[in-house]
Amino acid sequence: MDDSICPRCKTTKFQNPSLKMMVNVCGHALCESCVDLLFLKGSGACPDCRIPLRRNNFRVQLFEDATVEKEVDIRKRVLRDFNKKEEDFATVREYNDYLEDIETIIYNLVNNIDIVNTNKKIEDYKRNNREQILKSKGKLSREEYELEELLDLEKQQEKMRRNEIKVEEAETKKKKLREKEALIDELMFSNANAKNIVETFAQNAKDTKETETKVAASKVTQFSTGIQFGRQAQSSFLPVPTEEGPAYVYKPITTVTEGPKLPPEEDFAGLGYNNHIRSETEQERAGGFTSNLACMRALQDALAGLYHVKKL
Amino acid sequence: MTNKLKRYEKIEFLGEGQFATVYKAKDIENGNIVAVKKIKAGSRIEVQDGINRTALREIKILQELSHRNCIGLLDVFSQGSMSNVSLVFDFMDTDLEVIIKDNTIILTVANIKAYVLQTLQGLEYLHLNWILHRDLKPNNLLVNSNGILKIADFGLAKLYGSPNRLNTHQVVTRWYRSPELLFGAKQYGVCVDMWAVGCILAELLLRVPFLPGESDLDQLTKIFQVFGNPTEDTWPGVKSLSDYVEFKPSAPVPLKNIFIAAGDDLLDVIGGLLVLNPLKRKNCTDTLKMLFFSNKPTPTVNSKLPLPQSIKSVKELEKPSLKRKLLDSGEGGTLPKRLFF
Repeated sequence: MDDSICPRCKTTKFQNPSLKMMVNVCGHALCESCVDLLFLKGSGACPDCRIPLRRNNFRVQLFEDATVEKEVDIRKRVLRDFNKKEEDFATVREYNDYLEDIETIIYNLVNNIDIVNTNKKIEDYKRNNREQILKSKGKLSREEYELEELLDLEKQQEKMRRNEIKVEEAETKKKKLREKEALIDELMFSNANAKNIVETFAQNAKDTKETETKVAASKVTQFSTGIQFGRQAQSSFLPVPTEEGPAYVYKPITTVTEGPKLPPEEDFAGLGYNNHIRSETEQERAGGFTSNLACMRALQDALAGLYHVKKL
Repeated sequence: MTNKLKRYEKIEFLGEGQFATVYKAKDIENGNIVAVKKIKAGSRIEVQDGINRTALREIKILQELSHRNCIGLLDVFSQGSMSNVSLVFDFMDTDLEVIIKDNTIILTVANIKAYVLQTLQGLEYLHLNWILHRDLKPNNLLVNSNGILKIADFGLAKLYGSPNRLNTHQVVTRWYRSPELLFGAKQYGVCVDMWAVGCILAELLLRVPFLPGESDLDQLTKIFQVFGNPTEDTWPGVKSLSDYVEFKPSAPVPLKNIFIAAGDDLLDVIGGLLVLNPLKRKNCTDTLKMLFFSNKPTPTVNSKLPLPQSIKSVKELEKPSLKRKLLDSGEGGTLPKRLFF
């Protein structure tokens, strides 16, 4: 990028090392100071093609070739409307045709071929598929989010792989050292022919290396992840639990009292139970306490366990 | 006693309260995951009774209970002196407070119904056994990964129904405290727990505390702003309560205006639980018989209840990984030729 030159003021990167090239939708580059100068009012015409441009659409040029920037812009704009998904088509064939159409449109716009008709095509499509576009828009953001997640996952895997490699390297180093020592030991203490010993060790080392490469090879296929692979599998919503559980029916708690049945609470006063118990004060009643409550508890205490039979 | 100490292997620290620290631990004998609540030694005054009072209360009450929706006390042991006690409970993954505050979770009516049902069923069992919980709040309703809710923290629980014993009114976390407690009632019944359940139900719907009072007086103000002032007609004897104060009269707000998304049957339940007069308040049995619980939508099955992401992700680790899925879906070969930028 060192030879980049502003077409207007002819400043080069060499003259001004902090030169920053900016680009707008038309794909013609300008340096930052020219943009500041020309678009002081917020909008103006491109000095190359006289297309009206807005200042806040200028971006820092990422690619050396300004047409790439232009294409990215156009692609973004076109895909905002042409946002049908594979699920919207019956066959892969139809989907591919649709994708082909999009690419043609983008290509035409980038290379200024038949712009009037292409723009008309886009307008037509927009008009005919307004609902569809709106519907897909919601899905789109979610998909992007998923993509990010996948990228994260991949980064993690990458990290893991690097760690694994590090560990493996350390291990092989250790192994080599050990082998060397073993060989020297063998040569020192064994009575066999030195040449034979060296040969068997070399053979062993070769064998282990071969098996290792085989293992590594199978590992590579394991880690290959294509971003688009997981998309269909992931894009389905979490299942909304539609099935319902059984309806609730109140079941009274059964308590084993092992005693005579208590009279119902309503009859306490009538049966005279309350005569033997202090009736509640106004204050107690206001607090939610009634003498019936005390009576009930005393009765339960008294009667529970009367029929209990000891197990001997 | 010493081998019991070794029986539970500490896994991680879970949390700390005023009276205790809780650890996640593994029971070596059967491999179960449990929660060990180690009671703090406390001040000298507390210890002179021998053992922390809340711990004693909790042990005494829990030893006699066994219900699906009440926390199970599995074991009690002490290290060294008797004042250093540990309680072993079922391990629970989360609590209702976490679920309410987690705004990624969507609580449907069916979910709320399931949670409230479980609370009421556990509470009915407690009340039938003459136990008041006296500290019901979302934080004390624990939920495990199977979606089963259990009432926990019996540090304030007490037997009720005795005519001569006075109870303290300084119980229940303020936001869930009933008006009669705020007015200083010394004798009360199940109604104090029912008010708390009403507040919890409201919180499940609103996802924020329903009546977040900043002081006891402010709590009463908040309550009366919604339900209107009590009078001798609506709540006989209210003026005789020891801490009664006259409030500026305010008109009740219809519940429909607060819980705009709730159905009529649900509003009936809230209206039945949050009644100023404790004697008019519905008890567990009556509430459980209300139409809301038997009406559609039916309560969510426990295993399908929404849980925070952190618990779900632990469960998903056991499933085959995503990598496998990626490889599988690539087999078809008829891939679209879409370009990605």
